[in-house]
Amino acid sequence: MTISGPKSLRGNRNSLGRLGLALFLALAILPILFSLGYAVAYSTGLAGLLSDGFTGEHWAKLGQGSEIWASFGLSLYVAGVSVVLTISLSLVLALYLRRPLGYGALSYIIYFPLALPATVAAFLVFQLFSGAGYLSRILFQLGWIDAIGQFPALVNDAYGAGIIIAHVGLGLPFFILLFVEIYNREQLDALGGLARTLGAGRRQMLYRVHVPILLKKCFTNIVLFFIAVLGSYEIPLLLGRQNPQMISVLTMRKYALFDIRQKPEAFLLALLYTAVVVALVVLAFRKGEVRHEH
Amino acid sequence: MNTRANTRATGLRLRPAAAALLAAVCLFPFVYLFGLSLVSEWSFPAVWPSALSLDLWRRVLGGSTALGSSFLLSLGVSSLVAALSTLAGFVTGKFIAYHPRRPALLFLAYVPFVMSPVVLGTCLMFLYIKAGLTGNVAGVMIAQTMFAYGFSIVFFSAFWNAEVRALEDLVYTLGGSTLQAYRRVLIPVSRGALVICFFQTFLISWFQYGLTILIGAGKVQTLPVKVYEYIGEANVYYAAIASCLLVLPPALLLWANKRFVFKQV
Repeated sequence: MTISGPKSLRGNRNSLGRLGLALFLALAILPILFSLGYAVAYSTGLAGLLSDGFTGEHWAKLGQGSEIWASFGLSLYVAGVSVVLTISLSLVLALYLRRPLGYGALSYIIYFPLALPATVAAFLVFQLFSGAGYLSRILFQLGWIDAIGQFPALVNDAYGAGIIIAHVGLGLPFFILLFVEIYNREQLDALGGLARTLGAGRRQMLYRVHVPILLKKCFTNIVLFFIAVLGSYEIPLLLGRQNPQMISVLTMRKYALFDIRQKPEAFLLALLYTAVVVALVVLAFRKGEVRHEH
Repeated sequence: MNTRANTRATGLRLRPAAAALLAAVCLFPFVYLFGLSLVSEWSFPAVWPSALSLDLWRRVLGGSTALGSSFLLSLGVSSLVAALSTLAGFVTGKFIAYHPRRPALLFLAYVPFVMSPVVLGTCLMFLYIKAGLTGNVAGVMIAQTMFAYGFSIVFFSAFWNAEVRALEDLVYTLGGSTLQAYRRVLIPVSRGALVICFFQTFLISWFQYGLTILIGAGKVQTLPVKVYEYIGEANVYYAAIASCLLVLPPALLLWANKRFVFKQV
């Protein structure tokens, strides 16, 4: 038997890992790279049914105020508002209800909404907030409205209210739990106590110790939530308007239309979206909260 | 000073009421969905339905709708996707975690995991069509595995740390083989992480609609596809039943594993 150090032994045992990496590259990375290359080719007229040689025609449409910018604007607005509302509300609730969230019935019940998929969340928001929805019925019985038409448009509306409500509803329990978990893990009670001993007031303790630490520790999750809302499909499909549409819905629509002249725009949209997402992931990595140490 | 103390006392007194309200809000979707599944007619402006019955549930459980087969299909697809992604992510995550180029490889793992499945699926369609993977279960599973695999790698790359590495090294130093290291140490130590990862990748697949409808071309009728189909037909009561079936298994699993799940966030 040869006696070797652990490092050299480990070196011989990596074949399974290499195989795994090769599988991941073959199953995910290479198809993605190929598909993005195909998207570039399609959007420049080098591939596809209408391919007629290189053309910048489709990219030039970007400068003509096309619906692609409206779609990006709507998606960025919905993602931004959803993130701000979700993070603010979950911070308030996590800090205010930290004790009930730690034990008792609420500590179990708060996990239930995590089981709601986007499909069901969209369906629920439609059922609750549409003109003939449950909220409208309650207001009618209370005498606040006399007809369906008087209920404010919260679904398929211009401001994306229904889409935002659904995303906030989905993100809220996750971030409440995450903040409570970080609060306990980082021993913010002790840190707050120290700040108080050094003369900080309750507000200073909250705004200078608790909130900055909580936000810093879940920066990556916030970025990922933003990306998830930006590219969401099921919720805006049901709760959004026909025009403008969010990125995923518009991409799918342009791809699936019978009018194949629209297809290059679907790929163009996909490429722009990919660029934004990659930039955001790079930002998350640069901020260092995606842990590199082991 | 007194006013501030009074405000604080009121805030503390309101805490149980706020907790009860939050609990009610969390439970409401489930109660509402189940209630809606018991109704066959509920028109505006009634706040309560005129009658509740289990007729629709009887029809679904009796097999006279396609919901039962959709449920089983979803269960099969999600279980397989989760098992494959978890096992492959376990070994790949380890390789990446200890690799000198860890940040770059981890970045690659993030790409499929964070991208919109629909946008990426649109770009992938050409490849899937050429490979004959559209409109069938195999194609849907491969596409879903791509996303779940990325998640699994990210998940396990955080799990494999210096402590686990030291344990593995100890096995080798004491003369253990790779098989023994996995069987006696690494798998028992990572059992919790494996369960969580399986559960979360199961959910990634279980909840997937956009990618399934795109790659499956509407022919692979998983539960989320059924929910949207019923919504499209304005059949809200069947959509509610399909939603209940979609939500209940993960809700029960989440409740059973609640402490477990969040330790790794």
